[in-house]
Amino acid sequence: MNSNDQNARAEQQEIDASAKWPVLVFFGSALLWLLLGGALQLAANIQLHTPGFLSGCEWFTHGRLAPAAQNALIYGWGMNAAFAFGLWLMARLSATTLRHGGWLFVAAKFWNLGITLGIGGILAGYSTSFELLEMPRYVTLLLLVAYAIIGVWVVTTFSIRNTENVYASQWYLFGAAFWFPWLYTIAQVMLFKAPVRGVLQPIVNAWYVHGLFGLWFVPVALAAIYYFLPKLLGKPISNYYLAPLAFWWLVASTALAGGSRLIGAPVPVWIPSLGIVANMMLVLPLVIIGLNFLGTLSGRFGAVGGSLTLRFIVLSIAGFLLSSVLGLALSMRSFAAIMQFTLLVGLRDWLAFYACFSTAMFGAAYFFLPRLTGKEWRSTALVKAHFGATALGVVLLTVGLAVAGSQQGHLLNDPAVPFGDITKALAGWHTFNSVVLGVLLVGHVAFLINFIWIACPINSQGTAVAQITNPPVLSLAAKEGHA
Amino acid sequence: MSQKPDNHFKVEQAAASDDSIQQVHAQLLGQKPEKKDGYPMLPLVFLGVMCSAVFFGSIYMAHNSVRFDPLVVNEHAKREKPGAVKVAAVSPHDLGKRVFKNTCMACHQENGLGVPGAFPPLAGSEWAQGPEDRVIRIVLLGLNGPITVKGQEYNSAMASLGGVLKDDQIANALTYVRSEWGNTASAVTPEAVAKVRAELAGRTAPWTAAELLKIGN
Ligand code: HEC
Repeated sequence: MNSNDQNARAEQQEIDASAKWPVLVFFGSALLWLLLGGALQLAANIQLHTPGFLSGCEWFTHGRLAPAAQNALIYGWGMNAAFAFGLWLMARLSATTLRHGGWLFVAAKFWNLGITLGIGGILAGYSTSFELLEMPRYVTLLLLVAYAIIGVWVVTTFSIRNTENVYASQWYLFGAAFWFPWLYTIAQVMLFKAPVRGVLQPIVNAWYVHGLFGLWFVPVALAAIYYFLPKLLGKPISNYYLAPLAFWWLVASTALAGGSRLIGAPVPVWIPSLGIVANMMLVLPLVIIGLNFLGTLSGRFGAVGGSLTLRFIVLSIAGFLLSSVLGLALSMRSFAAIMQFTLLVGLRDWLAFYACFSTAMFGAAYFFLPRLTGKEWRSTALVKAHFGATALGVVLLTVGLAVAGSQQGHLLNDPAVPFGDITKALAGWHTFNSVVLGVLLVGHVAFLINFIWIACPINSQGTAVAQITNPPVLSLAAKEGHA
Repeated sequence: MSQKPDNHFKVEQAAASDDSIQQVHAQLLGQKPEKKDGYPMLPLVFLGVMCSAVFFGSIYMAHNSVRFDPLVVNEHAKREKPGAVKVAAVSPHDLGKRVFKNTCMACHQENGLGVPGAFPPLAGSEWAQGPEDRVIRIVLLGLNGPITVKGQEYNSAMASLGGVLKDDQIANALTYVRSEWGNTASAVTPEAVAKVRAELAGRTAPWTAAELLKIGN
């Protein structure tokens, strides 16, 4: 180990130390929202097969519960986790400390206050009618101010970087930092501030929802995957020279693909048509990214079992590929004619958000939390329980929603079947999905307990100190099986 | 993996340092892909995929955007430019049928037979098939008092419709009435209606049958 290596390690420790508290605050809040959102989601799903559940209290009627759960998961868990991971990785890859972390606390306060008021507002009956923008208008400003601070921090951290080279993960993080405020402000202005009329509203809404998944959550997940594959396998990304092409192509296509959500809707027909074409164009980046990831993994699947982060990352890759393929299928008019308005459409978004994004965040957290806190995970059993529950949950819920969705689609297209019978036919699958959501929730509780042991100053006293070895240098020679 | 078995899952050890990851990949970006058999296959394949994606995408758009018309919501709508297709000709008879259904049918009935004792028939009526100067006048200003139609005496009133119907609507309605249900009188042109309307300028009182019989002999 030469002195150069030691310098490198010392520098990383400095970065991790500077990122520690902001990241922990964001990630801790994220986990609380994950549990709350998961519980609300479970309750909302139970109402699908047991309609009487909680129906006595108007705060928990399905029309409020479902959007509250969705918003808690997306903005509470998803955004907070993305902030935590993005800030940390940006600092790491820019080889610079996170400066003035105090501002990030302010941002975290504002953001979480905004979400709390927003979820409360939805449950109290003040939700708006736009998907994923249900939080009442009064929280918009809070969220935007909070986001502005976070976004500025990510961007400035990147611009004061001490490195010569920029890596793929940084493209995606940097891009996402701009795309979210772009999507969010345009949606807010066009839907609330100076509302556009009639048929334009669902168009703007669909564009926003599509962008939120495709230009925020998926890029953050891709940043994690691009980072952790070489980081943990000690092997460069294969066919990396194609990655920039995939990046630009993905961004351009996704920004135009929102219209594909409106197939069959009474909107000017060129909008869904453009969305369909843009979505089909995604085949190219999909193939490239698939080659990047699977090519890097090939021959190394043995190593995946031994690394928890890699296990989650592989899950995330599978989620990315599945959700993209389903997105392609749903943008075919003939398929959409049957599957539009079924659980299958929800599955596409859930795959992008949970199977792709959330698992990537779990994997990342298992890597960065011991480094930030200097502690190791206390309970291996809980770690395994978390992974087991997540993997099982992803597989089962995918099956559950896919089968139920296609059954629902075919029944809906059969004029002989009364609507009530469809609801009855799906009750069994809804019950199945409730059980799976429960399994996922158990995994999240396991993760939270381990998180408290590692991150909470009082509870982490008894947790062993992590021994982190200095990583070797990646060399081109490690490149193997390059096709 | 450098993990000790008891350390399993407790701490994740990295297998590459951050700066070396960046360096190696920057090198990879600058590097041309390996050539097999003299050509880098993969970039060529992707070039092909890109070109065909753009090509088929454009064709699809051309077929399914319907001229980016904001009012068209169905991709099966006619793709021809407006004006490029000949407007299907609609006869005065067909147009008149619409006017009749909207305006006259309430009283004279769809089958043109009217209601005995209240509304006289148009089918087979000597009035409806009579001189066009008379029927135009009836529709323009209405009709009052006793009238004999097909041997039946009627004594009622028909309102004036000249205010609500335009010349061509009146002409079409009368053309329809005069050629439907076995009626065989000549068609009425909008010009004829306009001419009568001009002649009557100033008069508002409805006609009586006796008055009409003096006209158009
Ligand atoms: C409000 C009911 C009503 C409407 C509407 C009406 N008519 Fe009449 N129409 C009458 C009545 C009543 C008479 C007989 C008047 C009388 O007794 O003096 C009559 C008489 C006539 C006559 C002469 C007698 C006959 O049967 O040949 C003609 C022709 C005629 N209407 C044509 C029309 C046409 C064409 C329209 C539509 C543009 C029309 N009417 C709309 C009630 C109506």
